Amino acid sequence: MSTETEKSSQIDSLKERWRPRIERFRRGWDRFTEEKMGVLGIVIMVVFILWALFPDFFAPHSLEWRAYLGTEPGRLTAEQAESLPHPPAFGDPFWAPFGTNYVGQGILTLIVRAADDALYIGFAAGLLSSLVGVPLGLISGFYGNTWIDETIQRIVDVMYGLPFLPFLIVLVAIRGITTTNIILGIAVTSWLNNCIVIRGETLSLKERSYVESAKVAGASDTRIVFRHIMPNVLPLAFVFLAQDAATAIIAQASLAYLGLADFTANSWGLMLQNIKSNGYVFDAWWWLIPPGICIMLIAAAFYFIGFSMEDVTNPQGDN
Amino acid sequence: MTRISARYLGKRLVVSYLTLLVIMSLLFVLIRSMPGSFIASMITPELDQADIEQLRETWGLNEPIWRQYIDFMINYQTGDFGRSPTYKAPVWEVIISRFPRTLVLFGAAFIAQFIVGPLVGMYLGWWRGTRKDKTIFTSSLAVYSMPAFWLAWLFIWLFNYELGWFPSTYMFTKFAEFDWTVVTIITDVLKHITLPLISIAFVSWVGAMLVMRPAMNNVTGEDYVFLAQAKGLSERTVMIKHAARNALIPVATQAIVGLAFLLNGSVIIENVFSWPGLGQVLVTSVLSRDYPVSQAAFFMLAILIVVMRLLTDIVYTYLDPRIKFGGDS
Repeated sequence: MSTETEKSSQIDSLKERWRPRIERFRRGWDRFTEEKMGVLGIVIMVVFILWALFPDFFAPHSLEWRAYLGTEPGRLTAEQAESLPHPPAFGDPFWAPFGTNYVGQGILTLIVRAADDALYIGFAAGLLSSLVGVPLGLISGFYGNTWIDETIQRIVDVMYGLPFLPFLIVLVAIRGITTTNIILGIAVTSWLNNCIVIRGETLSLKERSYVESAKVAGASDTRIVFRHIMPNVLPLAFVFLAQDAATAIIAQASLAYLGLADFTANSWGLMLQNIKSNGYVFDAWWWLIPPGICIMLIAAAFYFIGFSMEDVTNPQGDN
Repeated sequence: MTRISARYLGKRLVVSYLTLLVIMSLLFVLIRSMPGSFIASMITPELDQADIEQLRETWGLNEPIWRQYIDFMINYQTGDFGRSPTYKAPVWEVIISRFPRTLVLFGAAFIAQFIVGPLVGMYLGWWRGTRKDKTIFTSSLAVYSMPAFWLAWLFIWLFNYELGWFPSTYMFTKFAEFDWTVVTIITDVLKHITLPLISIAFVSWVGAMLVMRPAMNNVTGEDYVFLAQAKGLSERTVMIKHAARNALIPVATQAIVGLAFLLNGSVIIENVFSWPGLGQVLVTSVLSRDYPVSQAAFFMLAILIVVMRLLTDIVYTYLDPRIKFGGDS
């Protein structure tokens, strides 16, 4: 009996403690949904997430499916092979709303089944590079022109001297072409932008009068950084998380274009690489357009959400 | 500019030099730790063990690794990049002929990016939240998300394959029939550069805009902007003279980022258009394990970037009077 009352009082106090946070989140959500752009980003993202979770429901065929043959192993007649890559066909001679590629796989099937790959790369790389870049940028900016700043800046300098994509190529070539290595390589090279811009912003912010007054009031460095400077650079940090996710997706596509993507996994970049290596770039629009559009949409969705977040965290009046 | 002391500049120069040394060491380690050796690309079935040994000797692979390292560092200081096994020529020649070609393409793209980007960003930031801002901003983000090579393909398809207006490969017309005067060369290069330049600039200007817009938006609340408005200056003057000047600070920092972004694009776009530049050599040499060439190409780009960074820092201090460097404040 007594335990129950204890429990309920615990729950009550928990509710009490979380109420303002829930309230704040709800307010933020309301602000967020006012932005059409953010909502659009969410919608695109949800569609891709659904594709990634339930590919069987959205994709018309499995990856083993081949035009004319279905899933039966067999050989195509010369005439049938001649017609591949086949333009969009609706039930006659087979069902492939986006047409097929040169081996007879449905384009729509490939597109839908590659969504998980793109989402994984985007989220993993974005989170990794933000976790490195933002703290380093804050520290570096706050202790501007001390040895701490110098050290971090030298590391960044050195990293910047390495051309990003060739560096990625070398990394991937050394460590083997797997999706994990591509993500690591992207994260290792993309936290720099994050760090530099956050540092620049922090340098500018710490000259502001309210930071001065906090210093005079005797606030610790940690407190100043986290209470006064971080809230002001957070929007930028969000933008960069989204930007890094989008960059990662595009970089992976670029690597795939150069023939450096994991060709056992099915990804949109790889589809584009295939269309190039088989020489159908100008002959099969139904094969060329969708993967590019998808890369664009998912990167754009990350950007849309990121920039709308910025509006939420940084409510500025419209002039 | 007088606020930047000679001591600060000297310090930055020394640091830049040290940075290059560290980058060189890193390169050495990275390239040497790649699987396979570039000897492998030269070994043919006719060669026996003695020949292979001979090759290793020639390329200095039998030296202990620290000797190789020291030789490498000394040679690079003196501008000796060695010979390329795949091009069968001094690396210096391979690299130096391609450097200007890359510079032409990316200098143009860089300038285009940093004129268009901040301008658009300035207006969007100033008029933040209006319908026009939202529409332009959303569509430019969508453009920014396009994979560069895919966009380049679309451009080639439209302007070259369908319309035949611009060539889609190389920097000059191959086996051209006309006589090579300065004018024809320039027009020829202009024709060839059009598509690659559009492909890069079409995407990259958004990067500068993305930094300018929030920066511009931040300064609109600053006291000096209010003061300028209170003085009764025209909105245009306030926007450009007072707000934009200060908003340019983060954009100056971003310049180096933009350069890195362009370099990524360089590799891809040069590949798509067979533009005979550094990016293409870099990729092919890394893939064919041509260590001397890839090292030199990396090194050239590293120098370029370090110099850019130095300039960025100087511009940065020049733009923001609130930041004081060099300890002579």
